[in-house]
Amino acid sequence: MGLAARLVLLPGLLLGLSAGQGLGSGRHPPPQSSPEGWALGGGRRLLSLELLEEAEDLSLALLGTGLPGELPPECRELLVGFANSSVRLTGCLVRSARPVRLCQSCYRHFQSVTEQLENITRAVGNSSESNCAKSLLMSDRVQLVVILSQFFNSTWETANCANCLKNNSEGLSNSTVEFLHLFNTTLTCFEDNFQGQSINLVPSNHTEVCRNCSQTYRNLNALYNKMQKMTGQGSDSEHRTHLCIDVEDAMNITRRLWSRTFNCSVPCSDTVPVIAVSSFILFLPVIFYLSSFLHSKQKKRILILPKRIQSNASLVNIQEKYS
Amino acid sequence: MSSPEPDAERDAEPRAAAASADRLRPGRMANVAKKVSWSGRDRDEEDEPPAAGETTPLLNGAGPGAAGGPPHSRPITHSPFLRLGQLSSVDLDDDVRELETEATNQFPSEIPHNEKLLSLKYESLDYDNCENQLFLEEERRINHTAFRTVEIKRWVICAMIGILTGLVACFIDIVVEKLAGLKFRVVKDNIDKFTEKGGLSFSLLLWAILNSSVVMVGSVIVAFIEPVAAGSGIPQIKCYLNGVKVPHVVRLKTLLIKVCGVILSVVGGLAVGKEGPMIHSGAVIAAGISQGRSTSLKRDFKIFEYFRRDTEKRDFVSAGAAAGVSAAFGAPVGGVLFSLEEGASFWNQFLTWRIFFASMISTFTLNSILSFYHGNPWDLSSPGLINFGRFDSEKLGYTFQEIPIFIVMGVVGGILGAIFNALNYWLTMFRIRYIHRPCLQVIEAMLVAAVTAAVGFVMIYCSSDCQPFQGDSVAYPLQLFCADGEYNSMATAFFNTPEKSVVSLFHNPPGSYNPMTLGMFTLMYFFLACWTYGLTVSAGVFIPSLLIGAAWGRLFGISLAYLTSGAIWADPGKYALMGAAAQLGGIVRMTLSLTVIMMEATGNVTYGFPIMLALMTAKIVGDYFVEGLYDMHIQLQSVPFLHWEAPVTSHSLTAREVMSAPVTCLRRIEKVGTVVDILSDTSSNHNGFPVVESSPDPTQVAGLRGLILRSQLIVLLKHKVFVERANLTLVQRRLKLKDFRDAYPRFPPIQSIHVSQDERECMMDLTEFMNPSPYTVPQEASLTRVFKLFRALGLRHLVVVDNHNEVVGLVTRKDLARYRLGKEGLEELSLAQT
Repeated sequence: MGLAARLVLLPGLLLGLSAGQGLGSGRHPPPQSSPEGWALGGGRRLLSLELLEEAEDLSLALLGTGLPGELPPECRELLVGFANSSVRLTGCLVRSARPVRLCQSCYRHFQSVTEQLENITRAVGNSSESNCAKSLLMSDRVQLVVILSQFFNSTWETANCANCLKNNSEGLSNSTVEFLHLFNTTLTCFEDNFQGQSINLVPSNHTEVCRNCSQTYRNLNALYNKMQKMTGQGSDSEHRTHLCIDVEDAMNITRRLWSRTFNCSVPCSDTVPVIAVSSFILFLPVIFYLSSFLHSKQKKRILILPKRIQSNASLVNIQEKYS
Repeated sequence: MSSPEPDAERDAEPRAAAASADRLRPGRMANVAKKVSWSGRDRDEEDEPPAAGETTPLLNGAGPGAAGGPPHSRPITHSPFLRLGQLSSVDLDDDVRELETEATNQFPSEIPHNEKLLSLKYESLDYDNCENQLFLEEERRINHTAFRTVEIKRWVICAMIGILTGLVACFIDIVVEKLAGLKFRVVKDNIDKFTEKGGLSFSLLLWAILNSSVVMVGSVIVAFIEPVAAGSGIPQIKCYLNGVKVPHVVRLKTLLIKVCGVILSVVGGLAVGKEGPMIHSGAVIAAGISQGRSTSLKRDFKIFEYFRRDTEKRDFVSAGAAAGVSAAFGAPVGGVLFSLEEGASFWNQFLTWRIFFASMISTFTLNSILSFYHGNPWDLSSPGLINFGRFDSEKLGYTFQEIPIFIVMGVVGGILGAIFNALNYWLTMFRIRYIHRPCLQVIEAMLVAAVTAAVGFVMIYCSSDCQPFQGDSVAYPLQLFCADGEYNSMATAFFNTPEKSVVSLFHNPPGSYNPMTLGMFTLMYFFLACWTYGLTVSAGVFIPSLLIGAAWGRLFGISLAYLTSGAIWADPGKYALMGAAAQLGGIVRMTLSLTVIMMEATGNVTYGFPIMLALMTAKIVGDYFVEGLYDMHIQLQSVPFLHWEAPVTSHSLTAREVMSAPVTCLRRIEKVGTVVDILSDTSSNHNGFPVVESSPDPTQVAGLRGLILRSQLIVLLKHKVFVERANLTLVQRRLKLKDFRDAYPRFPPIQSIHVSQDERECMMDLTEFMNPSPYTVPQEASLTRVFKLFRALGLRHLVVVDNHNEVVGLVTRKDLARYRLGKEGLEELSLAQT
């Protein structure tokens, strides 16, 4: 597809290039921009991507001011700024996907994306002739910038990152820092005590880990519960707010290690008393019903004979049954 | 079986000898009761000796009196006694009859409670407007604009009903959430603590004791203060809309007990819901507001006086019931249809529109208040007490191939519902017979609460189904023996309020429950719910049914997914919904309104069709075995409930056989002493008295002139409206319709009215107070015809007259409700004192 399009449009390569910039800005109406988009896509596949990007960024300054309908250079700059920051954020998000370190490592990038987007939106009021917000955010069907920024925002919200950060998103909140610190200590403890033992061993043999790290683990658990309680305070139980995903994931990992791998949490099961108590409770109704059946006086109904001219055989039958 | 065959008369002939012996008895009986005078034998009977001879031994005593026919026909020749006044001495006959019955002692007067009884406790409501002269005068006085104000007032009342019902629903919801949250947190902390250290049996005890103490309070207030507030209240409201006056059912006290009781029983962890009682609450609110006063609080706000009669009150009560449904399920249309389904014999378009208005207001009030409470104003996301949550149709759509599966689920629901009802029937019968003392009832409720907790605990304890935390679906996660970071899946079902469990069964992602958990849960909850319904606590059966259905429905969905090796359409949540619908339909057997309620609660019209199919199948299958839970309880309460139609094989029964006779009649101008005596007679607690012409000549035909009610007579006696007094004191105020309304609905008993010896000699003129045009039927009218007239017009008394317009008998609700289509054809119920 890309190849065919390129062949068709080969004579207008220059036009295609300049229009390719237009595509980024989303200023051209869709019917025009789509075939040229293929052309550019084909070119991209052949050329080195990075180089082409550089070239585009350069060409914007040179060619951007050509036609009256073109994207103004200041808008182009904003767009590039957004592109750069979102590239960094995307990279960071993916790199810290597993084990989850989203909030702690990407909050700066997220902040810069937010700032860039704010710059674009704020440009509305600044100059009426170069309405960047309008041309970047609202002039085509796809609205790529909007889609991207929505994606980032929703990711951030799903991860509940705001719960780990300080109020102005400047850095990690104190409790988070404390938690992460304790988490690292716990992991170190696990590692230290785990040395020399292999995973192939029977799981119940990690008593050393359990004994030595129990205090740290407890502290971590307690801190986690405390943090959970603190975030949950504002809202009711139905819509419980989560801690940020970093903390949750760290805790999950630790817990899994603790109870699954090391098998350290062995709850006391007291089956005998539970069975005794429950069978006692279950036995009570039997006694109750039996005693009320035997001792309670059965409720009798006093029949009232109806006043009828004639009676029906049925009435007799019914009453004979009970006589 | 009655005697629909024409051969019946011939069958009876052999007893003619016994019957002729009966004829000799009146004399003897009259000797026993000195003051008796025998009214004449009916001419018709003398013309047809076999018919008279048909009197069975049972009614020997009543026979001669009963055969008396028109009380004021000529005195019969073989009665040598003097007539005391022109009054037919039916009541005295009664005395005699009872003496006779005891003397002969052929039949037991006491029997254990059974379902084939009609209680004398229940009376009818007067839906028929009494068009007496006072009424006409008032109508003349009130001009056109005043009637328009009345119409506006009706709308205002409906709006108020909606708002108040919504507020009550909010109150219940919030309090239940708070208290249940508190309880679950306490128990959870305790369990968490003891899981580490050991000693979980203490947690079990704590849970059981908490539950049963909360339930004890809830049960004590119901059992000792207002027993009519027990149960869901839907049967009671059904009866009320049907025209039965259930004592205390729409009182303010009942409302208070109901609301507190339902909160306590839900918090107490019983297998109950708070939705059914909302309907009752709505009805009480409606009845209260429309009267503009509270007799319990002794406050009269002097408003809405026009509506102080049964006809108007019933309309508002149906609006209240609809508002209750609407608040409970967020289903305004479902609410309207519920009222339609239950009280449809008296219905019109304007009323429907007003009821719809009340329903809408009610759900909107609940929705806006709850959205404020949840901290996101005008979010309007909680239209009812239970919200089934969103079912988005892209993910959970259904295909054509699935429709047979839904029908199969309907069959399962019907069978399970029938089992539920049958078990509950036996249990209820046992309860009525043996557990009738309030303290026993309280103990029973406490035991059920403790056992519910114990069963829940043991199930959670034994379950090894651990699920990792995902999302925020679990309100009170219990870890117990699961690994850290996981929760016990059984606990989401048992350790939660039933509403939340239903929603999590609908919406938790596939794999949240393993089949074993669901199977055990269904089994246990089925028996718990069945055991719980009918306890002396106020609680509904909707949510437990939904929960049982959702559990097996989900199980069904999981096994379907397993069989089809994980086909995309086999979403367990969807099948949970269908299972819930089928189960609910199988238990309560409502059709139209339930379909719409479910549809509105899911907020998904596309599901209407499968839900309808499931409900229909469930009803058909269930009806094959036993009747619906509510109808069953109505029957067990011995309520004279009139169904839509007379029993199909009843055309051969005539009004003559159905009616009660002889009738206590009053003369148009009657002596006060006689009236007082009739009203005070406890053996025949009649409420309506045909008024006949008061001619001094006993040989003359005394035709029917009108009908007067006990309540009217009592008001007349209270105000001493006597002919002599009217002449003496000209200044005396004329009695108005208002005086009757002021006494409504609790007319004083006759014992509280003092009539002096002098006043007993006075005369009363009933002409302007009686209903001058009561409905009458000839003796030959068939039961079906009488039934239709009675049911369609909502009558209370239907006078049976002969060709000369003489009163022959009186048909009341109990006379019609006696006939029922049973397993072996037409059955007749007996009357009993309860």
